[in-house]
Amino acid sequence: MEKLKNFLGKSYVWLVMLFFYVPIIYVCVFSFNESKSLTRFTGFSLQWYQKMFESRTIMEAIYYTVAIAVIATIVSTVVGTITAIGLSKSRKIVRDVVLQINDLPMMNPDIVTAIGFMLLFTSLHIEKGFMTILLAHIAFCIPYVILSVMPRLRQLDDNLAEAALDLGCTPVQALTKVIIPQLKTGIVSGALIAFTMSFDDFVISFFTSGSGINTIAIYVYSSIKRINPTINALSTIIVLIVTVVLIVVNVVPMIKDKKLKEGK
Amino acid sequence: MKSFSKMAWPYMLWLGAFVVIPMFLILMYSITRQGNSVITLNFTIENFAKFFSDSIFPIVLWRSLKIALITTVLCILIGYPCAYIIANMSERAQAFAILLITLPMWINMLIRTYAWKGILSYFDMDASIKVIIGMVYNFLPFMILQIHTSLSKLDRNLITAAEDLGADKFETFKRVILPLSIPGVISGITLVFLPAVSSFFIPKLLGGGEYVLIGNLIENYFISVGNWNYGSAISLIMALVIILSMFVTKKLDKKVGSED
Amino acid sequence: MKKLALCLLSVLMILSLGACSKKENKSDFDPIAEFGSDTLNVFNWGEYIGEETQKAFEEKYNVKVNYKMFDSNEEMYTSMIMGDSYDVIYPSDYMVERLIKEGRIQKLDTSLITNIDKIADGLASPDYDPAHEYSIPYFQGSVGIAYNKNMVTIEELEAEGWNILVNPKYKGQIFVYDADRDNFMPAFKALGYSMNTTDEAEIEAAYQWLLNQAKTMEPAYGTDEINDDMINGNYALAICYSGAASYIISENDEIGYYEPKQGTNVWSDAMCIPTDAKNVKLAHAWINFNLEKEVAMDNSIYVGYTSGQKEALAELSAEGGEFDGIEAYTPRVGYELDEEYHDDNVLKEKLAELWVKVKATKGE
Repeated sequence: MEKLKNFLGKSYVWLVMLFFYVPIIYVCVFSFNESKSLTRFTGFSLQWYQKMFESRTIMEAIYYTVAIAVIATIVSTVVGTITAIGLSKSRKIVRDVVLQINDLPMMNPDIVTAIGFMLLFTSLHIEKGFMTILLAHIAFCIPYVILSVMPRLRQLDDNLAEAALDLGCTPVQALTKVIIPQLKTGIVSGALIAFTMSFDDFVISFFTSGSGINTIAIYVYSSIKRINPTINALSTIIVLIVTVVLIVVNVVPMIKDKKLKEGK
Repeated sequence: MKSFSKMAWPYMLWLGAFVVIPMFLILMYSITRQGNSVITLNFTIENFAKFFSDSIFPIVLWRSLKIALITTVLCILIGYPCAYIIANMSERAQAFAILLITLPMWINMLIRTYAWKGILSYFDMDASIKVIIGMVYNFLPFMILQIHTSLSKLDRNLITAAEDLGADKFETFKRVILPLSIPGVISGITLVFLPAVSSFFIPKLLGGGEYVLIGNLIENYFISVGNWNYGSAISLIMALVIILSMFVTKKLDKKVGSED
Repeated sequence: MKKLALCLLSVLMILSLGACSKKENKSDFDPIAEFGSDTLNVFNWGEYIGEETQKAFEEKYNVKVNYKMFDSNEEMYTSMIMGDSYDVIYPSDYMVERLIKEGRIQKLDTSLITNIDKIADGLASPDYDPAHEYSIPYFQGSVGIAYNKNMVTIEELEAEGWNILVNPKYKGQIFVYDADRDNFMPAFKALGYSMNTTDEAEIEAAYQWLLNQAKTMEPAYGTDEINDDMINGNYALAICYSGAASYIISENDEIGYYEPKQGTNVWSDAMCIPTDAKNVKLAHAWINFNLEKEVAMDNSIYVGYTSGQKEALAELSAEGGEFDGIEAYTPRVGYELDEEYHDDNVLKEKLAELWVKVKATKGE
């Protein structure tokens, strides 16, 4: 009985996983299609991969997507952490007001946030491009960093920092040697969320991109009307890279673990 | 130590520039007349009046809420058992399962939705069902991850205690596990319902253009029709509805929390 | 967690470095000396250019082309009024008219466009810009009905024209583009009106025609998925651009293309240079380059739309040419009931709004 239940449970989880992976497998399969079609598989070919690597537009879209995600993550993590620490030492009323406003971009639908940025840049006559996408991404990533660092700060023991100051630390030293190390998990998970949000974003990039720049999502969106499997090839490569990285990151420690145990 | 509070000042300025001013601009556009690149100071409430006087717009808003609600309920129904089973696996299996769920999230949402378009083209089904499948697919991982987090934090001793006190499995689940995992469900709801209401490319791609939701209306008024004033008014109405429903959800969360 | 983050970041960095590695220079042409700039911002429709065109241009002149795509004239226009600066854009007829009226595109320097005499005869003097002062035609075409010869006969089409799209016999078997004007046009024409009408009663009648269609015919609304669907025989009838029909027919000869006698929309897309363009000379070079016979042929073969370049058009439709025998490649010209769109923003906005409502009705 217990075994059967166990089996049913596992099958259910696998079924959900299947649901998650069916479209991904579908994309990969059609990236090898000979014809342009996305519904009729006519034969095997690598032409869409060749086209993808030859297309400077696609390669640049990858570059911009990654560059924006990386810079936005770094900046928003630093700013978010500093702000969170600052807020934790601010008066309650200031902290509450700032956190309320900070909640807005997260509560607001993507499209409203995006239109807000677009109106901002347009009315200031700022020419849109790399900088505007980057600013917009930083702006919508910071709230998530603050959100994940704040709870750690609440658990922080104030006396430790006080002690460090009493023992002759400068405030900067107290910050970098005492406070920040204790926030590490919050900062890292904040950074991960920020990176994922930026990497996956379409709407905000779409409304703030201007004339010279495509990100992967913008490219996909603007060529979706006229179907073309180079997008599938691009997705397959991303799937491949992400899979390899995740496996390496997760399996290597496991093997190390095992070796350590065996060593004992 | 108090001097650390200064560290929050730059971000306050930033919030002003990138959150308050954009929202203010949307508000300004929504209460003025036609004039796209420059705000005309020609105040009017006709944009809001238009929304409510024409029966089609409230219907679209209602339809968006309905679809988002169905999506959220389906995500809970499918996601909860899944998260529960995963939380009862060995630690290594859990890590692996979570990894498998996270991986698809790294592939752009547009590309994943685009794949569904190809798959669903083999089936003859209602546009609304296609849209719901697309939304459940895109947002289910958030629900599972949130519920899993709250379940895995659960103190095992509580369950053992309940069992020792004579509760059967179902009773334990109902009285101990379920109430304690509610916060996870609530934050899952936030992460599913919010983007589901406003999504515009999922209905655009999977509904074949015929399934208009509120996000599509906004995009249409900004891009195709070119009436930014009315588009801003709809945005504002949508933002208000969402913030209100989030507020209600949070209140419910507190209420549930205080009952226990 | 931290390791995972670091590892992902580093791999993505490597990936992006690979992506941005500068292409080696293929020629020693000095674009700065010749054109004063070495980058060009092009804004075109999605999948609307030959596969080699961009690369060939970059290599010939040793420049970099930033290529962005849009999927409607309005999207392009919105981007322009938001202040995005492009060097070459590809508006359709009525949009060219509006951009001229609003002073958003500049007069072309015809001395820099030496291929200007290669414009196809049918486009020698378009209404929106008769002397080609602002625009050079790129592709042209018509809107018609693609039909599956096994399900619909040509006699039926000739008898009913656009009204076949509201014939209950084909309920659930028709496909229309999700675009306001491509639906109002058949409605106006079916009712015997001009598609540029501003008469309130006529617009209302067309709106009712479409509402009736939405309620009784279960039409599918979409975009280019129609290409696959028609080839696979999934629909009996579809409103279709002539260029899309060329592609469909070249894949499945059981499909035909018909232009109703009630008249239809004949259109053309053109290349223009915005007033705020930063690389004007290079933009002229791009336009001239696209008028070269080989380039125009490459564009037309890949996209399937009718070339606006005379030599390419002649060669591709001649016997043994790529589109020999495909009637959709050479759409009807000079028919009196056929019309071009004219710019009327009020009408356009109104139709766009009514179209949203028609679609919203169907979702009920």
